[in-house]
Amino acid sequence: MKLRDEKATDEKAPWVERDTMVEASPEEVWEALTDEDRLEEWMAPDVELDPVEGGEISVRDGEDERSGTVETFEENERFAFTWSRPGEGESFVEFTIEALPGGSRVTVVETPIGPTAIAAGGWGSRLLRLSHAMRFAPVA
Amino acid sequence: MRSPAHRHVDAVFDALADPTRRRVVETLARGGTVTASGLAAQLPMTRQAVAKHLSALRSAELVSASKIGRETHYKLRPQPLDEAAHWIQMVSAEWDDRLEALRRTLEKRRSRSQ
Repeated sequence: MKLRDEKATDEKAPWVERDTMVEASPEEVWEALTDEDRLEEWMAPDVELDPVEGGEISVRDGEDERSGTVETFEENERFAFTWSRPGEGESFVEFTIEALPGGSRVTVVETPIGPTAIAAGGWGSRLLRLSHAMRFAPVA
Repeated sequence: MRSPAHRHVDAVFDALADPTRRRVVETLARGGTVTASGLAAQLPMTRQAVAKHLSALRSAELVSASKIGRETHYKLRPQPLDEAAHWIQMVSAEWDDRLEALRRTLEKRRSRSQ
């Protein structure tokens, strides 16, 4: 992809990236991320997951429902899927698990899909700053 | 539940996917109201190229245009940017909540097994 040598995007971060440290091994984290019953303990009250690449995932919280396809399923390391609400644009969600002394770091990235949207990766935080700056800029 | 706001956010992200258009947006954000020629003078591109990008930005409602005499003056509309920024903030907050719930369930299970 052209993205890598594109100098105009000075940040390579995706639209949204969050992480957390947990006192649990990568194996324990993996189970919580990829077992249907465990997912229902934290993700949403009703989760269905076919835990293989190409399998289906559906996440339901009352009226709010999203579904998609498992893209990556690398045990204890990486779990990624696409999801979307009916009629809305898809996004790509990826979890990575990293072993730390005494625990793990779990990182999640959510990126709107579409060749154009992905090419814009990294502009999210600049967009936030720009939007914020404009609110306080004198109106011409 | 298909919200018009979400559809619009997609259009905004699409319009901003092009790095050159992002430069046009950033230049407009600094410059108030400008003409295509005025913008071209500040950017390394022709007036025609600027006009093409402005037209794409108008489709995403990121830019408004008004005719004064023979010239068209362009101005950035902050609202769609706010909506896109809002999407980023909302999705970030959702993941913060979910990751916190994940941390709690993992640590609860661990304390039970100890």
